[in-house]
Amino acid sequence: MSTALLNTKSSSLRHNGVPFPENRLIKKSLETFYGIGAHQSSRILAKFNIFPGARLGSVPSKTIAAISADLSQMTIENDLRKQVRDNIKRLRDMGSYRGRRHAMGLPVRGQRTRSQIATARKLNRADWKA
Amino acid sequence: MRKRVVLSNTNALEVEGLQDLSKNMVGDKQYIGKVLGLQGQTVDGLRAVEAFKAQQGWGLFRRPGVLVREETVRIGERLNTFKTNGVPRLVLDGNRGAGKSLMLLSSMAMAFVKGWIVVNFPEAQELTNAVTEYTPIPDTPLYSQNAYVATLLAAIAKANSTILDKLEISQKHPNVPIPLQSNITLSRLCELGARDPEIAWPIFEAFWSEITASGRPPILMALDGLQYIMTESEYHDANFKKIHAHDFAIIQHFVSYLSGKKSLPNGGAILAATSRSHAPKSKSVELALQQALERQDGGLFTEKDPWEKTYDARAEMALASVEVLKLGGLSKDEARGLMEYWAQSGVLRQRVDERTVAEKWALAGNGIVGEIERGALRTRI
Repeated sequence: MSTALLNTKSSSLRHNGVPFPENRLIKKSLETFYGIGAHQSSRILAKFNIFPGARLGSVPSKTIAAISADLSQMTIENDLRKQVRDNIKRLRDMGSYRGRRHAMGLPVRGQRTRSQIATARKLNRADWKA
Repeated sequence: MRKRVVLSNTNALEVEGLQDLSKNMVGDKQYIGKVLGLQGQTVDGLRAVEAFKAQQGWGLFRRPGVLVREETVRIGERLNTFKTNGVPRLVLDGNRGAGKSLMLLSSMAMAFVKGWIVVNFPEAQELTNAVTEYTPIPDTPLYSQNAYVATLLAAIAKANSTILDKLEISQKHPNVPIPLQSNITLSRLCELGARDPEIAWPIFEAFWSEITASGRPPILMALDGLQYIMTESEYHDANFKKIHAHDFAIIQHFVSYLSGKKSLPNGGAILAATSRSHAPKSKSVELALQQALERQDGGLFTEKDPWEKTYDARAEMALASVEVLKLGGLSKDEARGLMEYWAQSGVLRQRVDERTVAEKWALAGNGIVGEIERGALRTRI
């Protein structure tokens, strides 16, 4: 269960404990969660018959509570980060080529290493956090 | 601000001898090529149903005026003879700038002066590009768009107030969740729906059954942007499949009258204009319109392409028996009449003789009104 959302006091949508302002778009608010992008947010809105331009204030709080409940069922935020971290850990622990590349901070997917490895150096890690 | 329409400009000259469109002028051939002004009441009604569009050139003239074309008179005749020839179900087609939206406006003006009830959907794309809220109607596969229907009811009440203020409800409406007094006027009924979007759809259904009861005036329903409602919308259902436009209650309502499935008991007309500037392409709609024209002209019949996969069966069914009025260019006389009106208003600073009329007419692709206006009025030299 993602701890970012559980809030038994009110049925507002919250991210890291901070509620969203009422006039913000619901779609945009959903996309601030790690693991929800354009597609997943569209799916969530469609499930509750909310049009993409709806603001948080226009939807009844019952629906917001249902969306929060739905979000807590999905792997997002820390659950998802743990999953990704575990995947990289698994690769490294079994001694695979991909694991070694992550550990060295080099490209994993067969790219050239003569140049253009800035992104790999920045992002590829064995101790991946976020 | 985006949709603000300015209808009057005191810098333009007052055109002397400008007659206003009145009931006896509808369908009269002697007015072809003349520009008729619109009475104050008609202008109020048209403004309330959003018939005037912001990008049209109303703000250049002292008063709104419409050119009477041969097609305007044809529609006027159809409006006059709906009792004998049946309720016309017309689709206005033509190139971009040919005057389809303005033909709808002229038709609405004619309906207003004849004392009909006018219901207009000014931009069909607002119904299908997922900018208004939608809710499923329980126990049906349909969806209702409450916010849109509420604004529609407000527009109907405002535009048709002279007629609706005098009519009272005559039937019981068990579907309406709120209690209704037995003698409220129809405009009050519309206002109740306009104020509360939650009950807007049941109130619209109640209103519709009231105005199609016996003894009520004829109804004109108009829609601009036909292709938008003849394809899939941008909305998704709970399983993330796109919802077809015909699954929305208000669109279903319009289409059932356009296709002839339901008929107006007190008569009237159903008009729809296509949009040739940026509407979605639909092979079914193009084919249906072409077949309708061929049916009317008695020419060769275009068959359906057996290899084409993107046909839309529901659109085909809806447009199977409509009439198409294809708008082409103006005739030289109509163009001359329009340009003389512009010159009298002081917005066209040229001598209007045979040469200039022919020049503007030819440059406008043989008389497409929008292009004549662009060439004559909007060119900044």
